Amino acid sequence: MRNRLPGLVSRDGERKVRVMRGLELTLRQTALALVGLLFLFALPDIARLLPAIQLSVLHQGVVFGLAAVGLNLLVRHTQLVSFGHAAFFGTGAYTTALLAAKYNVTEFALLLIASMLLATLMAMAIGYLSLRHTGLYFSLLTLAFGQLLYALVQGQTFFGSSDGLPVRPGPNMRPDIFGLALPPDAYEVLVYYLTVAIVVVSLLVMWRLINSPFGAALDAIGQDRTRAQFIGIPVRRYVWLAFVVSAVYGGMAGALYAMVQQHVRPGPVLYFLRSGDILFMAILGGYQTLFGPLVGGIVLVLLQDMGRDLTNYFDALTGLVLLALVFGFPQGIVGSLKKGGRVRSAASSFKNNPAVVGAWVSSFAESLVTAATQSVQNVKVLVFGVK
Amino acid sequence: MDRRTMLKAVGGTALAAALAGCSSLLGADSNQDASGGASDVPDEPIQAGLQTFTEGPAAVLGLQAQYGAELAVSRINEAGGIAGRQIELDVKHEADAYVENYTQFVSEGKEVTFGPISSGGHAALAPEVEAQGVVNVSTDGTVTTLYEETVPDPTYSFRFQNYDVMECVSAARETVNRLGAENVNTVAGINPNYAFGKDEWKVYTAALQKLTDVEIVYEGFPDLLADDMSTHITEINNQQPDVTFSSQWGGDVVTMMNQAAANNMFDNTQLVGTVLYSAVNDLSQDIVEQAQALSGSRNYYWGEPEPARWSPGQQLLDDARNQWDIIPSGHFMSGYGAVASWATATEKAVNLTGGWPSQEQIAMSLEGHGFFTPAGYHVMSERHQGLSTAYYGEMDWSSEIGAPILNDINSYSPPDVSPPPGTKSLDWIESW
Repeated sequence: MRNRLPGLVSRDGERKVRVMRGLELTLRQTALALVGLLFLFALPDIARLLPAIQLSVLHQGVVFGLAAVGLNLLVRHTQLVSFGHAAFFGTGAYTTALLAAKYNVTEFALLLIASMLLATLMAMAIGYLSLRHTGLYFSLLTLAFGQLLYALVQGQTFFGSSDGLPVRPGPNMRPDIFGLALPPDAYEVLVYYLTVAIVVVSLLVMWRLINSPFGAALDAIGQDRTRAQFIGIPVRRYVWLAFVVSAVYGGMAGALYAMVQQHVRPGPVLYFLRSGDILFMAILGGYQTLFGPLVGGIVLVLLQDMGRDLTNYFDALTGLVLLALVFGFPQGIVGSLKKGGRVRSAASSFKNNPAVVGAWVSSFAESLVTAATQSVQNVKVLVFGVK
Repeated sequence: MDRRTMLKAVGGTALAAALAGCSSLLGADSNQDASGGASDVPDEPIQAGLQTFTEGPAAVLGLQAQYGAELAVSRINEAGGIAGRQIELDVKHEADAYVENYTQFVSEGKEVTFGPISSGGHAALAPEVEAQGVVNVSTDGTVTTLYEETVPDPTYSFRFQNYDVMECVSAARETVNRLGAENVNTVAGINPNYAFGKDEWKVYTAALQKLTDVEIVYEGFPDLLADDMSTHITEINNQQPDVTFSSQWGGDVVTMMNQAAANNMFDNTQLVGTVLYSAVNDLSQDIVEQAQALSGSRNYYWGEPEPARWSPGQQLLDDARNQWDIIPSGHFMSGYGAVASWATATEKAVNLTGGWPSQEQIAMSLEGHGFFTPAGYHVMSERHQGLSTAYYGEMDWSSEIGAPILNDINSYSPPDVSPPPGTKSLDWIESW
């Protein structure tokens, strides 16, 4: 009889941990997942021990990571690159802020649900209009819609213009959590744990989604649209659905962001550079993985925050990291740690033969020399022309 | 005026005298004066934090605020500190992280924080300051609604710089003073396309319409840092309004005035601006002389009060030029004044309590606190809004200074340009 409950099962002679239907992890994966979960739960204590790190910053990282996980559904499986995902993040954030500031809605759950609903509607509209195109034109359309929303919010005093809106409803000056009015410290920690719970559930849902026939169909669409159409996949409808799902994640993240920051301004949530950030988080963490975008979100936000203390040119940090990523670790943080990833294979070849370090150094030096000669050559051609 | 009288005038202590810029009045016994005989005062220096724009286009204002704060801190330390405690100032880039910067400061154990400059950031920050309870004196962030709607009943959040309504009502009064009410029939506006620009335009026109029978003929809102303002300039050349109002600041002033001069706009209208003078370090002689613009300089202009009567303003100019090679603007005073207000109020609280005061006691002594700076006399009102004289003048070129100056200054005292306590700004203007 098949085991229908969570627990240990045996598959092809390997012991696996069954989490839910269709989700069975190897012992190693289980251990990693537990460590990850433990890490997320310990973050408030880590933040307390390290004065350079603030919980609200880590929290922001987790929230942006959640948005990146959503965007990743589109990027990884349908191969569509959206440059306007901040639109949904911003929709979520502004829905929460508007309800809190103008209609005095205080309940956390209500604000969250309303934000998800509005982000869904927004994604249905934007998705319907931009998914007629693929590739560059799709990216540009999403960018355009994002900027349209940004301009609208920036220009309207109803949305608080560039000053934004506070999220401080009720006499408690912050949302109630399931009817409880909490003091600031308790609120901060509780909202964080709620975020973690939401993130865990969202990851499970996402896992289930991409490992379903629907996920397989998305993969097929990503590989070849025309063939997917030929084998009977309703491409338009499926891509639209994927777009909406990814936007719901964005809207949810936006609502949580508003709840953490307690003030929403158009620049940080709607500007197109924010869309770039979310995309970059997915790539940084490893967009071929499920957890990568989440890790990327935490790392990037933390990097930007700590960078501000180190140098005035902290924006350049993002550029440097991007360079390192493209040249050294194209699979991202989590991708490089995976089996067959850059870090793992390097570690195993080091274990086999430590002398390989010498080869690494020489190959690095060689590639530097090659690059240098090439650029000298290029300059020569530019200045003197081809002879 | 002898030393004793002067000390009395500026608040009674060496510290207050130093911050007012009367350092020559401080004798050798200043240290003893400063410690005030307080018994229960910690030995370690006061940790203070300032957030401001240290890079990017807004650094035109941000660095001025930083230099101002640094000058105030160094003057405090030279005068022996507050009750013997020196100040150490940590500066952080404002970016979009107003709240994070503040909470970081608090968790690092800062006893006071200054900034931010951005009004959107200040609106986000003020409620957080109330929640955390560590006094913040904002340098700018001048949006009118802050203490009218966002935080209507503040305890720990203060703002030194005059707010938008004062700035714009002063501008309206200045317009009428210079041109005469009967000569102001049409007005146009070029204002930056964000909340500050829209607010300033709204308040200015509301006030001007009460003072004259003016008609609005054009309003344009170029984006911040727009590199082309010619459509607005062309429109103004077509309409030829009596007055063109602009709340552009920093680099946008330079862009606007250069393009306006190139298109002969100044032949067709009188430019009036609230913070044109913030571009003092970047304007060229030719443009300034063509424009003959009327400009405000917020609550500080180094030539006013008249140096013959009150030399500290002139001294501040010299200090700023020697140390940083800049002409200090109103934003220099934002940084200087924010620090000065907190320091003088804290010293007052030390003297009253006989020990080091709590945040609450410092906040209470800041409420209604009066103090001197090189710009003259300031009051931190009961509503936590700084009130001080606003300066307006005709911008002209001084070859002696090598920069624009303000000629023929008019000053506007707070009761003339700000609503009485308990009245919202636009209601007050409506009631004229």
